[in-house]
Amino acid sequence: MLKKLTRFYHPKTIEEACLNLGNGELKTAIIAGGTSEVLRQDNSIEALVDISNVKELSYISKDSVFYRIGAGTPVQDIYKTPALTGPSGNLLKAAAGKIGSTLLRNSITAGGNLAAMFPWSDLPVVYMALDAEVVCRKGKPKRTVPVQTIIDKKASQFLSAAEIIAEIAIPMYGKGTGTAFAKLAKTANDYSMITIATRLTTRSGKVDQARIAVNAITAGPVRCIEAEKLLEGQKPTAELIAAAAKKAADSITIRKDFRASREYRKEVFEVMVRRALTEAHEKAGK
Amino acid sequence: MKLNTRINGKEYCLEIKPNAMLIDVLRQAGFKGVKFGCGEGSCGACAVMINGRPRNSCITLAGAAEGVEILTVEGLGNPEKPHVLQQAFVDSGSTQCGYCNPGSLIAAKALLDSNPNPTAEDVKDALDGNLCRCTGYVKRIDAVLQAAEASKKTRKSTRGKK
Repeated sequence: MLKKLTRFYHPKTIEEACLNLGNGELKTAIIAGGTSEVLRQDNSIEALVDISNVKELSYISKDSVFYRIGAGTPVQDIYKTPALTGPSGNLLKAAAGKIGSTLLRNSITAGGNLAAMFPWSDLPVVYMALDAEVVCRKGKPKRTVPVQTIIDKKASQFLSAAEIIAEIAIPMYGKGTGTAFAKLAKTANDYSMITIATRLTTRSGKVDQARIAVNAITAGPVRCIEAEKLLEGQKPTAELIAAAAKKAADSITIRKDFRASREYRKEVFEVMVRRALTEAHEKAGK
Repeated sequence: MKLNTRINGKEYCLEIKPNAMLIDVLRQAGFKGVKFGCGEGSCGACAVMINGRPRNSCITLAGAAEGVEILTVEGLGNPEKPHVLQQAFVDSGSTQCGYCNPGSLIAAKALLDSNPNPTAEDVKDALDGNLCRCTGYVKRIDAVLQAAEASKKTRKSTRGKK
């Protein structure tokens, strides 16, 4: 692991971190919480930029439209903060609280879940269900992109040489929106087998926007677009929700390992999607 | 590579391999209270406090500990002068083989630092990353609650003296 590593950078600001990252001499990568470092296959990395001391990357705040979460914010802070409420805040907190353990949540960061994305990453589905935007910084210049862009292209391909993920901006939804998070794992600490985040935004009793984002059962985070389409514009009856859950189960390519077979996962997945959509619908009505 | 860090309140400058893990560096520096369990962040035996947050030292690169404040179980107390949590772990019978205790104590300390009046649920939540294979999980919940109670009394009595 990291056989060619010779040095660490410890920047204090985003601009400094970007400078370190684009130093042009050493093959450099970013490290934040570092929990996936032991899984890094790339032995050619010569330097690591440790951004855990960049204070301007660690915060949870809000403006009139968005919750703004610094990319370096430990997910334990998301789980424990009283600052996140409502459909978006509750979904974020529910998912953050289900990530590993206290010890891991203190290391794992909001941005790390996107930068080093794994099938068992829990937050990407939440960002997708909430139509989050990601702020990337390359020194001073910044660009804001939909989270889907980073998920489709993978952060390593999408970000340019000296660019970092700086912030996740999450739209706040109000009345008429309900969200739900669901996860299946052998134990609280084990890798997830199924991770689901749903959002139903309703208007006059009909679904305006439906989001079903899943991970772990698939090789990476994906949305079940066909199932979402089935719901949108319709009244979310129990039958329709069941049909959407079935469509979702039929639309994904299911991953398997020693923990459970594809057949088992598919059967449980359909039930979990149905329940998550039902929960989201109930909350939307409140 | 040099690593400058504070361990249990004392400055250290350690010579480390760039890809060394924090647990190995700490143990080689003499902090044998930091235990190696699973080596993949699942069991919590290696937990140390890094800038006030309990984290797994087995999956943390030592290089990332530059300039931070580390607390290991040695920094809590010793047999002559045990920390209130250590005493409570002994009194409640929360220690058997003892391998998980250093990590559990660090996680428990972090809880009491942020929440001096925890409920049993809070304790469960805070120690969810520390597996115990012999004593189990009930007694250590009692232990942390006892310790919280005991610290409250100490605080009251010192306030009384002033």
